[in-house]
Amino acid sequence: MEKKRYERPVIKRLETGVPAKFGRPQKPEIMSDIDGVSVESLVNQFGSPLYVYSEKQIRDKYRKAYKAFSTRYPKVQFAWSYKTNYLGAICNVFHQEGSWAEVVSGFEYDKARALGVEGSKIIFNGPDKSVEDLEKAIKNDSPIHIDHLDELYTLIELSGKAGKKPSVAIRINMDTGIYPRWDRFGFNYENGQAWDALNKIMHSGKLELIGLHTHIGTFMLSTEAYRVAAIKMADLARGLKDKFNHKIKYIDMGGGFATANTLKGSYLPGDDITPSIEDFAEAITSALVNAHFSTDELPVLVLESGRALIDEAGYMIGTVLANKRLATGQRATIADIGVNLLFTSFWYEHKVKPAQEVTQFTEPSKIYGPLCMNIDIMRDNIELPLLNKGDRFVVHHTGAYNNTQWLQFITLRPNVVMIDENGQPHLIREKESLEDIKKLEQIPEHLRNFEL
Amino acid sequence: MHSYSLIFFGKNNLLALILLIITFFDLYTGLAGLTAVLVTTITAYLIGLNETNIRLGNYGFNALLVGLGLGIQFQPELPFFVVLVFAALLTLFITIALEGILRKYTIPYLTFPFLFAIWIIALATRYYEALEISERGIYTLNFMHKWGGHLFVDIYKWFNNIPLPGSLIIYFKSLGAIFFQYNLLAGMIIAIGLVLHSRISFMHSLIGYYGAYLFYLFIGANINELNYNFIGFNYILTAIAIGGFFIIPSIYSILWIILLIPIISLIITSGSIILEPWQLPVYSLAFNVVVGMFLYMMLIRTRFYEKPAITSVQLYSPEKNLYYQRNSEERFAHHKYFPFILPVMDEWSISQGYNGEITHKQEWRHALDFVITDETGSPFDSNGYSKEDYYCFNKPVIASAAATVEEVIDGIEDNAIGDMNLSNNWGNTVILKHMDNLYTKYSHLKRDSIQVKKGDNVGKGDLIAAVGNSGRSPEPHLHFQVQNTPFVGSKTIPYPISHFILNEDSNYSLQSYKVPKKDQKVSNVENQPLLTKAFHFIPGQHLHYKVTKPNNEQIDFEWEVMSNMYNQVYIYCHQTGSRAFLLNDGGIHYFTHFEGDKDTLLFYFYLAFYKVPLGFYKKLKVTDKLPINILKNSSIKVLQDFIAPFYLFINTAFELFYLKKTEDFTRNKIELESQYRHSVFGKLMGKVDFKAQLKDGAIDKLEIDKEGGVTVVKKIQT
Repeated sequence: MEKKRYERPVIKRLETGVPAKFGRPQKPEIMSDIDGVSVESLVNQFGSPLYVYSEKQIRDKYRKAYKAFSTRYPKVQFAWSYKTNYLGAICNVFHQEGSWAEVVSGFEYDKARALGVEGSKIIFNGPDKSVEDLEKAIKNDSPIHIDHLDELYTLIELSGKAGKKPSVAIRINMDTGIYPRWDRFGFNYENGQAWDALNKIMHSGKLELIGLHTHIGTFMLSTEAYRVAAIKMADLARGLKDKFNHKIKYIDMGGGFATANTLKGSYLPGDDITPSIEDFAEAITSALVNAHFSTDELPVLVLESGRALIDEAGYMIGTVLANKRLATGQRATIADIGVNLLFTSFWYEHKVKPAQEVTQFTEPSKIYGPLCMNIDIMRDNIELPLLNKGDRFVVHHTGAYNNTQWLQFITLRPNVVMIDENGQPHLIREKESLEDIKKLEQIPEHLRNFEL
Repeated sequence: MHSYSLIFFGKNNLLALILLIITFFDLYTGLAGLTAVLVTTITAYLIGLNETNIRLGNYGFNALLVGLGLGIQFQPELPFFVVLVFAALLTLFITIALEGILRKYTIPYLTFPFLFAIWIIALATRYYEALEISERGIYTLNFMHKWGGHLFVDIYKWFNNIPLPGSLIIYFKSLGAIFFQYNLLAGMIIAIGLVLHSRISFMHSLIGYYGAYLFYLFIGANINELNYNFIGFNYILTAIAIGGFFIIPSIYSILWIILLIPIISLIITSGSIILEPWQLPVYSLAFNVVVGMFLYMMLIRTRFYEKPAITSVQLYSPEKNLYYQRNSEERFAHHKYFPFILPVMDEWSISQGYNGEITHKQEWRHALDFVITDETGSPFDSNGYSKEDYYCFNKPVIASAAATVEEVIDGIEDNAIGDMNLSNNWGNTVILKHMDNLYTKYSHLKRDSIQVKKGDNVGKGDLIAAVGNSGRSPEPHLHFQVQNTPFVGSKTIPYPISHFILNEDSNYSLQSYKVPKKDQKVSNVENQPLLTKAFHFIPGQHLHYKVTKPNNEQIDFEWEVMSNMYNQVYIYCHQTGSRAFLLNDGGIHYFTHFEGDKDTLLFYFYLAFYKVPLGFYKKLKVTDKLPINILKNSSIKVLQDFIAPFYLFINTAFELFYLKKTEDFTRNKIELESQYRHSVFGKLMGKVDFKAQLKDGAIDKLEIDKEGGVTVVKKIQT
């Protein structure tokens, strides 16, 4: 007979089943496998901590999102936001689904090129584009989204040099009734900067204006803001038609759609308050459809959604290192996942589920990461079942930003795997080794040797 | 020239040449015929009659017959030629008059002008004493000897003595008689010419003739009547006219010919008795009367689409008519339908089709229910307890064609899932009127989502409402139907969707004029701008191409897009005079037929882009069939021609694949691959492969891979 699992003693208020303001007490959910592959086998094969992506979930999510727009608007194009997650395997899943690339630096640009994305299908965003980056983008016919006037002047200059009109769009910022207002990117709609930039482009005769771009914020919980933004964008597009008889080819509504993650400080869980992608699609497309573009001037709707497409398809598997009780009396669990690997724990209250059988008893706990740093807190306060050293758990909704913002800090970065549609795990990024780190370092001659 | 071949309903220069030579068997007869043709043609031209008709020989062939008829009768002296000129003019007048009278009944004037003209002249000339009756027609041998010596006479004798069955001799003589050459040799040569021109015509001439022969035997009529009066040609001409010219050859046309034979016989016999007092021969009277009446009867049928089919586009060859008709029946039969698109955007599933098991029954059986399903086939996300869980709920409904809004019903609450509103069972509904007696109805719409009001005009694809769950609808879906009357409860009619893309496990196929079936995943053809532009040939547009042949020889071609008075658009090649006719129905580009030399670049262009849907779908395969007359002549084709009215064993197939599209905001390029195959009894006999590249709104490059290497065609930038 198998040895019974040890369960530490816990003192809890008796719950009689009367619903509290959060509803009935819930039995902790257990997640022992991801897409049919057991957590234990994944850890045995690839170690802990471990990033796990579900290819099936990425594709499902993408298709649903695409369909939400394409059944409402006839011309839709997604561009995968590289900064959200630029692991090659992840990007390629999106490219296979038909998504283009949206990059915000020369490095991301090169990465997309290296993966085989044609230059003309890489949308080049961001405030930091060097002259070399811009020259490259012009040569490859990439749409360049102008962020500020200095960039506009640089492009006009480069246009003469390249002997070719760069294809550009401008980024617009605007008041959509939400806070904070993102006014640091692009040109403002309300105060006339946008028209100033558009006039400069049209009168320069050196740039080919092909689109308009906006990105009103991130983790947006309001669909109304998108409706307002789409109306203003359509207004600009029609203004260009009226003033210059110029038809733009696309309106890029950016991304920023919220996911099921719960923001810190949110009263209700993310699952309950996040609008669905259908709601965002409805707001944007109805505004564009009602703008009454004629059939031949209907612009393509470009979407650069990143987080909403990948967040929920990413998981982290971790292991409990130790349990302790803090001076306040609160329980603390030390895990091998810290803020170095789960950067998003600064913003989100990530859902954590144990990967093996536990009792229904839970205890308010703190989860610390493995770093020798005070700020390394993964969850400040979580109702956690009673976990023992060596137990596995699964962190949810980790797909966005963690593999791009992770730190090689104190520990090395672990393996990343993707489970394909047949339930087969594939290593998509190998864990770092000391050699990888040493390879980049150079020690001057006089520092080579020392004696202690 | 065409005046000559038109007598056999052809437009074939070789046949015409042969016939011209035949008429010159008797020098003066030939001369008389030629003079008559020239006189009418030049006069018609000077008067300013329709040039196409003149060039086709429509005004010349009756005069030709009159010329021949007179030439054989009279001595070739000056008075005769003067009379001939005016006889030709008279024929022309009669032709024009008859054309005017008969046009109203849409029946051709055939050789009626000849009949009237020659009768008038025959009666009149009896009193013109300056004209001398020629005896050449009677004493042939003497005249032969006089003109060509012994040799001619020998040849003539030898031919006349060939041991042929009596019936065949009469057949040949009858053929000759059409040109007033009552001898075997002329008949044989004409027969050869006829075979060269058209196997089907030749076969029909035999059927007509032997039908008559057997009928004469059966009825006990005087077979010699066939022989001596040379009126057998009435049967032959009738058979050719009906069997291959005015009617598409088929087993039905042959049956009709056999039925008409006794009627012709009646008219010949009675006609000659009536005309006897004036001593006029019946000539082709029977042929004219019977064919004219028969065609009139065929044309005024109410079920005109039934067999035998009337030739719709006259190509002056029974073979071409047959192959073209068969082919266009397959390709364009649907063009009589009003083109509807699917009333939704992107891909939807049919949850209930025609004769559905739930509500599409009886008078309302021709309706379609649309929903959106996901990868697993489910129409909803999460648990499906609320309307919003359904993918299709609140999705746009678009007008399936341009229309006027006939009726709008709004204000009916959307049901909770599982509930039904049986008192307002259609729910919120829009009815659009596309033309008289053609309406489409969109039902179960979302409350307050209707964007149009009664009397509005909407364009194809315009937003009219959103999918809802009102009326007899337990789950959100769109109900779409076509009806003849404008009412909400009107009964449905079966009506196809013009073009749509069918997705079967990610295999996409183009469906044209079909009705989607239950559980099929369908989407509209989204026209791709580059394809649309490249295949939008505008009359007046010039196309320049440089051709590099396998031997590196280079030729420049210049084509021009033109249109004719029938509003047909075609590409015309200035160097070769060939034409490729095309049709663009907004969703598909078709080449409809080709005229001219088949060794030209334009012909391969026609083959390569025979049918091109204007939406780009990777993995989409398009298939079509070409008319068999595009093949070059071969013995197999001759054999096929003979049995073509009954069975086609030659298969000429076209296939097109979409390879690659580079379409974004800064670049635009498309690669296509197409192929042409022709097989006999399933065995591959010939093939051509094409690879095409489209860019900058035009067909930029075409590689033609056929026997003997690859020819590269490149657009010349102008």
